[in-house]
Amino acid sequence: MEQAWLIPAIPAAAFVVLLIAGPYLPRRGDWLSIAAIGASFVLFFPVLFDLVDAINADHEGFVGGVKSWEWISFPGFEIDLGFFVDEITIVMLVVVSFVALMVQIYSVSYMHGDPRYGWYFAVMSLFAASMLTLVLADNLLLMYAAWEGVGFCSFLLIGFWWEKRSAAEAAKKAFVTTRIGDVGFLIGIIMLWREAGTFNIQEIIHFAENGGYDSTYLTAAVLFLFMGAIGKSGQFPLHVWLPDAMEGPTPVSALIHAATMVVAGVYMVARMLPVFVAADAVALDVVTVLGLVTVLMSATMGLAATDIKRVIAYSTLNSLGFMFVALGSQSVTAAMLYLFVHGFFKSLLFLGAGAVIHATEKQDVNELGGLAGKMPVTTLTFLLGVGAMVGIIPLSGFWAKDEVLTVTDSEQSVAIFALVLISVFITALYMTRLFILTFLFEPKDRHAADHAHEGGPLLTVPLILLAIPTVIGGLVVFDSVGEALGFPGGFGQFVWLEEPEKYKFHADIAVMSSAVAVAGVVTGWIAWQGKAELATRVRNAMSPVATLLSRRYYIDDIYQWGINNIVLGVSTIISWFDRVIVNDTGVDGSAGLSYFAGYEIKFTETGRLPNYALGIAAGVVIIGVLLLVFEVKI
Amino acid sequence: MIPINNFLVLSSVLFSIGMYGVLARRNAVLILMSVELMLQAVSINFITFAAYLDPENFTGIIFAVFVIVIAAAEVGLALAIVLRLFRNRQTANVDEADLMKW
Repeated sequence: MEQAWLIPAIPAAAFVVLLIAGPYLPRRGDWLSIAAIGASFVLFFPVLFDLVDAINADHEGFVGGVKSWEWISFPGFEIDLGFFVDEITIVMLVVVSFVALMVQIYSVSYMHGDPRYGWYFAVMSLFAASMLTLVLADNLLLMYAAWEGVGFCSFLLIGFWWEKRSAAEAAKKAFVTTRIGDVGFLIGIIMLWREAGTFNIQEIIHFAENGGYDSTYLTAAVLFLFMGAIGKSGQFPLHVWLPDAMEGPTPVSALIHAATMVVAGVYMVARMLPVFVAADAVALDVVTVLGLVTVLMSATMGLAATDIKRVIAYSTLNSLGFMFVALGSQSVTAAMLYLFVHGFFKSLLFLGAGAVIHATEKQDVNELGGLAGKMPVTTLTFLLGVGAMVGIIPLSGFWAKDEVLTVTDSEQSVAIFALVLISVFITALYMTRLFILTFLFEPKDRHAADHAHEGGPLLTVPLILLAIPTVIGGLVVFDSVGEALGFPGGFGQFVWLEEPEKYKFHADIAVMSSAVAVAGVVTGWIAWQGKAELATRVRNAMSPVATLLSRRYYIDDIYQWGINNIVLGVSTIISWFDRVIVNDTGVDGSAGLSYFAGYEIKFTETGRLPNYALGIAAGVVIIGVLLLVFEVKI
Repeated sequence: MIPINNFLVLSSVLFSIGMYGVLARRNAVLILMSVELMLQAVSINFITFAAYLDPENFTGIIFAVFVIVIAAAEVGLALAIVLRLFRNRQTANVDEADLMKW
């Protein structure tokens, strides 16, 4: 466990090598990037075994493994560069390293022939290093640094094809939008530090649990922290960047905008949840409500989106909102379990979509269809991903979703539970729609479908490898499975907030959620089968609603209006002040005055000796007269 | 003893003549000569005050000697410049040497 720092250090080193020597390496260095993340993935196992041993040896009092160096030290102000491993870290670590490895292998084929192939892998390495640092950081400041690092990599990769204007715009939008949240995150960190005098997460939690913070102050601080999570994890009202982020290469979407970076917010809140609990109940209510709003909003927007990647992006927002609802219900277990399985099935869905785009060069579902026969592996794995997202027993998504529903049922009001159930129905509806429109029935663009074919093994093997945890990943909830793997028990006994819990299967909730999910699938099948006659009719009958959904509730338009009128209006005034007052008057004005004065005065310099002589003589006389008049004694 | 005023008047008159020469003359050599007059007026002042106020010491007299030395050096230098001016411009009229301006 002492060597955990190597996990982010290896991809970081790979990035440096690729940056300097990348163009001179064979194959532009893609193997180096993959080897580095592979090494990180392998190194994960000794860390995991150490942790499990430590837990089994000392079950009750275990607080995680620590390794830290002194980073910055002033009298009274110290920052340590530290790495921390506990159960939450482990869950995140396996998702990040495994999905990153799969995605990078997939990228070798997907990005083949791209002019910036080497740069792509360099940034992927930097992203892996930043993300793993974020996961392992033991203090908020290091976490914040890594947090910005992943945001920067996300910016670079969304705008990877920056020649395309929409991609450049999307990258900018993502960066600026997440920055808004990041500012709040930083304020929250500073607020927590001001009282506790430390950035160390464990010490802050300890300080908060012992009532070190004033309740109102702490509530404000955690809400600022949550702002960072809102930005990064695409929660309402800062969710607008994530659908646009689909302009990046598809493997990037799979890695950054599905499995890893966007769940950083969930991870951070899960990590800081004891602090949230210590704060006023309002804090967790805000988490729940914003999560719920995001869930419902994204699910309905997913119904109307036509871009295959955007539909999956909305499903990601949906899942993230789901995790926040779980966190709002004070359940780290449910949130992290959902995060764990979501990382696999969502990146599977994205990589499947990437395979479709790779094969047909189309990504609008209205131009796809009928690919099932041409691309059996992609179709089957995609179907598994859809099943997991919908929550079909026994796929991994089912168990995770059930955990979330269980905690929502026990912790929240019936209304919230009902809304979550409705979102499950809508999720099933649009995921079915996506699958039908993409893979089944008559192709809408026969030419594209005819040329479609399964990609090489570099494309299909990662799909299959991701399909395995998609199918069986949820079984970790069972105590017997956990014990068989050497863990103290099921997921609930490994990751927990207050005390470990044995897994209990809630048949009523399972039946209810399954019924809702199946109803969604069946409704979707009826609506979109064949030529999607029912769906078309419903859409025509409710065209205002359809417009509302396809225009994304006009939120983007409202923001654009706000930017155009308020932000640009204020900045016009400020820029006028800067240009006219500060620059033209203050800077250029004083310089111009000197210039003008110098120009006028220079004509007194005639160059003629008698003038100067007269000047000297007159000066002496004047000084003499003045001395006499004022009777100055020398 | 001759009253001190006589010397001071002499010195003032000499100085004024010199100053008039400097201001009114256009020929560089004549200006230099006028400057010499002004310098000698100052020397007279020095010697006068030395003799009347502090006869035991030679402070003022030494100053006069310094003035003479410096005047000699200055004239040597200035005449060389005037010579160059005359060589280049065929004139020693200072009004025509007005290149050192804006």
